[in-house]
Amino acid sequence: MNKLAIWSILGVTLTFLIGPFLIIVAAALSAGDSLAFPPQGLSLKWFVKVFEVDSFRASFGVSMFLAVFGTLTALFLGIPASYGLARYKVPGAEAILLIVSSPIIVPGIIVGLALLRYLVIPTGVGIGLALFLAHTALVLPYAVRVVSASMENLRVDMEEAALLLGCTRLTAFIRIVLPNIRGGVLAAFILGFVTSFNQVPVSLFLSGPGLRTLPIDMIAYMEINYDPSVAALSALSAALSIAIIFAAEKFLGFSRYV
Amino acid sequence: MSDFVTLDHLTLTYGKTVAVSDLSLGIAKGELIALLGPSGCGKTTTMRAIAGLLTPKSGTITIDGRDVTRLAPAKREVGLVFQSYALFPHLSVYDNVAFGLRLRGEPHLDTKVRAGLTTVGLGDFPNRQPSDLSGGQQQRVALARSLVMEPKVLLLDEPLSNLDARLRLEMRMELQRVQRETGITMVFVTHDQTEAMALADRIVLMRNGAIEQIGTPEQIYAAPKTAFAADFVGFETILPAGDGIGGLAWRPSAVVLGRGPHTGTIRGVSFAGERREYVLDTPLGLVKVDTPVAEPLRRIGQSVQFDLPEERAVRVDAFT
Repeated sequence: MNKLAIWSILGVTLTFLIGPFLIIVAAALSAGDSLAFPPQGLSLKWFVKVFEVDSFRASFGVSMFLAVFGTLTALFLGIPASYGLARYKVPGAEAILLIVSSPIIVPGIIVGLALLRYLVIPTGVGIGLALFLAHTALVLPYAVRVVSASMENLRVDMEEAALLLGCTRLTAFIRIVLPNIRGGVLAAFILGFVTSFNQVPVSLFLSGPGLRTLPIDMIAYMEINYDPSVAALSALSAALSIAIIFAAEKFLGFSRYV
Repeated sequence: MSDFVTLDHLTLTYGKTVAVSDLSLGIAKGELIALLGPSGCGKTTTMRAIAGLLTPKSGTITIDGRDVTRLAPAKREVGLVFQSYALFPHLSVYDNVAFGLRLRGEPHLDTKVRAGLTTVGLGDFPNRQPSDLSGGQQQRVALARSLVMEPKVLLLDEPLSNLDARLRLEMRMELQRVQRETGITMVFVTHDQTEAMALADRIVLMRNGAIEQIGTPEQIYAAPKTAFAADFVGFETILPAGDGIGGLAWRPSAVVLGRGPHTGTIRGVSFAGERREYVLDTPLGLVKVDTPVAEPLRRIGQSVQFDLPEERAVRVDAFT
């Protein structure tokens, strides 16, 4: 292939990847009253507006809570699972990994519908709890996969040495295993956080009046008010995700784990 | 029996695979024992059982009069220097050595750690990370980490095999010195008979999960009891004895080249400093011979006479 073709493909790819983001940012900077591109004049007023909408503040809180605590819970379950799968000859390990990964494989819209129909409706579980469980389950595959990858390089004999020096199995895990997989754990946390924070299809079924995640709230807002504040909010949350990933790459070499 | 460490009818398994069957061994206090044998002979498994990393299927292990068979590794007062060293990569050299003492709540922690590092010649490196050290230095850290715990028995897994020739000699002297100074009982695992001979007070030669022969290096070197033992300590030519019971074994240096009743063809020659080693293809099978380099060189393909003098052979029991 000649150079021109390569550069064209690269250019097209980048345009499709980054283009929408640039359009959103430009639309958000508009001084006009409706969502449009190219923007009509320049202004930061829609960015200010974002912080004045009550529902955005509430749903941002919900999303943050789900992203932080859902991911922490997923890690709390996923780290021991990765350890067990790496260390012991678990019967049916392949099947367990497949089940753990299923939230990635099964389309979110089906997961959301299933949770609504077979968890929320029959048991009367609050949608808050259902959302929390759903987000934990969605993040679990990332937790298990990323932590497993960093566990692979960890030799068993380090733990055995710790056992001989006075550790129990548990203290050897805490003192030797955890410090040596902390990079993977942090990477899993960040990946989980971003996944949960930007999640739409599952949350769609489990949101209702009074309890919405940020992306769902944005959709609801847009149905009524077609103004550039949604674009501004999109730009802000994309910027948040990008900042987290960049920081992770810089301090941890994030891409090693994913 | 006044043995310090006793293995009594020990059977060790991995799942359904029997790695060691019905092994009994007594080790005296302060002794330096080598568990010697080819890979898969059960030597490492035996060592892991002494350390408590493997629970025996049957049999007992006693250390200093205490039955430790079902005791957790931490409670056995046994140290183990792993072949991979198994240093904790997230801790400094100092913290690696201090690890066990801290868990124990040692009151004289700093003094002991520094003394331990000095003993192995690493007194100047307490703040280095393990990854900044050479293989030989890492092994010394691993040794210090075990020694500061003042274990009753120190186990070493292939302590010399990852080192180059010069470091190997250094480590050998180091281990002998530590053993002399501390009087600690040491058991090390090796597949290398020269290592075992050079270091051990007594060698336990193992084969297929059982003990083939126990003896001092001199005993095993001069008088291997079985064909397997003879082969392992350098008797390259082993033939059935004339009377049909057992066999006779010759070292390459015991075979006479240039005269005798047998004839063979030279298949290989190699120069080894003071001696020259030949491989002969003969009706008896391959025969290894070495001669002083002063003797005339024989070429590959040349036909030569040789003799296997019975008075220079060692008689072995089991012929395999």
